Amino acid sequence: MIVKDWCMYCGECAGVCPRNLIEVKESSLVFKDDECRECDTCVIVCPVNALEKK
Amino acid sequence: MIETDVLIVGAGPAGSIAAKHAAMGGAKVIIIEKKSEIGAPKRCAEGISDNGMKFLGIDIDPRWALKEIEGIRLIAPDGTDVWLNDEIELPEAGYVVERKVFDKYMAMDAGRAGAEIKIKTLAKSVRKEGNSYVVLCESMGELFEIKAKILIGADGPESHIGRWAGLKSGTKAKDMESGAQFEMANVQMENNSVLEFYFGKVAPGGYAWIFPKGRDIANVGLAVIAKDTDKTAYEHLVDFVANCPATQNAIPVELNIGGDPVGGVVKEIYGDNIMIVGDAAGQVNPLTGGGIISGMIAGMFAGETAADAIKNGDYSAKVLSKYADRFDDHYGEKMDKYIKSRHYLASLSDDELDSIAHAFQDVEFEEVSTTELIKNLIKVSPKALLKLGKLI
Repeated sequence: MIVKDWCMYCGECAGVCPRNLIEVKESSLVFKDDECRECDTCVIVCPVNALEKK
Repeated sequence: MIETDVLIVGAGPAGSIAAKHAAMGGAKVIIIEKKSEIGAPKRCAEGISDNGMKFLGIDIDPRWALKEIEGIRLIAPDGTDVWLNDEIELPEAGYVVERKVFDKYMAMDAGRAGAEIKIKTLAKSVRKEGNSYVVLCESMGELFEIKAKILIGADGPESHIGRWAGLKSGTKAKDMESGAQFEMANVQMENNSVLEFYFGKVAPGGYAWIFPKGRDIANVGLAVIAKDTDKTAYEHLVDFVANCPATQNAIPVELNIGGDPVGGVVKEIYGDNIMIVGDAAGQVNPLTGGGIISGMIAGMFAGETAADAIKNGDYSAKVLSKYADRFDDHYGEKMDKYIKSRHYLASLSDDELDSIAHAFQDVEFEEVSTTELIKNLIKVSPKALLKLGKLI
């Protein structure tokens, strides 16, 4: 997942990830890309459109 | 390895009050908070109810209570408004607070009660070890473990703790509102002692709000259900600010975003050696999205339950279920009612919302009966009434 510069690390993506694959730190997001099934839920809910699939 | 009776992940209001009550009950308590500043950045409109604070036994303090609220103004898509004053029960009416101060104040209270706070400390994973949980933590580049007899997840809408521990505590996207909010100056409200709520296409699946913070300052925000719109919450907010009469000359000084779980309490909020509280548990008013007070009441119940469990040496799910029972006794019926109301509101078209506002515009709610309200609604929008009937 590509995290855009304007991500504010609110964590909404992590909250809805059905596989619990997103770790939200104070100023970074860590995705377990290898386990992602590309459901796009995280991309859809982002309040500022800061996530993009690779 | 650090050992403790109770480990709480997250120092928001729910986590801090859980820590305070667990410590007051004699338990050894540690709270970890991943951020470097408790309470910032905020992710909410900052409304709390007066009754809620009374129930929690917390005195209103001018250091964090910025504005006392006297009523609510509901605005339909065509601009028709309905005013509700504080003589009828308003779930979020009380005060608008400054979360950056409020959350720290609650954490300080927990610290004074004996809880240890570890700031800038992230929970990385959880594992069960005998009759305890072990949490792998990271702080300033250092990894270490904390072993706790009872683990309380107060880690917000992005919660991992419950799911790592195997609880059915996930939130589906349809139940997560995406929120965006500006804190603004030079906001020109009709009355800066009321909360304003705007309904309709302005915020699909949710609503927009203006919460006054004193003088000409206010939180101006909205929440949407992502599947109900092609635009982001932020894009809806920019449109709202551009079109709302109150914000034509307003100046943004802060942008906040975040998710709000409005689907009601998640399936499992406790298990052996574990409880989850606050947004992590979906303990948010599904109608208003307000979660400070409900989360804190849950936190207080969880903290007290944890302290009793530690005293008695029994941290089983059976003992910890008392927390869930107390929360259900306090909120269960209201939560069901609010979920139905939310679905009802979401089902209404802009025309139907306008009709309802017309029916209720000049009603003195504290003096009118439910029958009269329904009669008014039949006159202006039988369709809206029919939808209501199907939900009840």
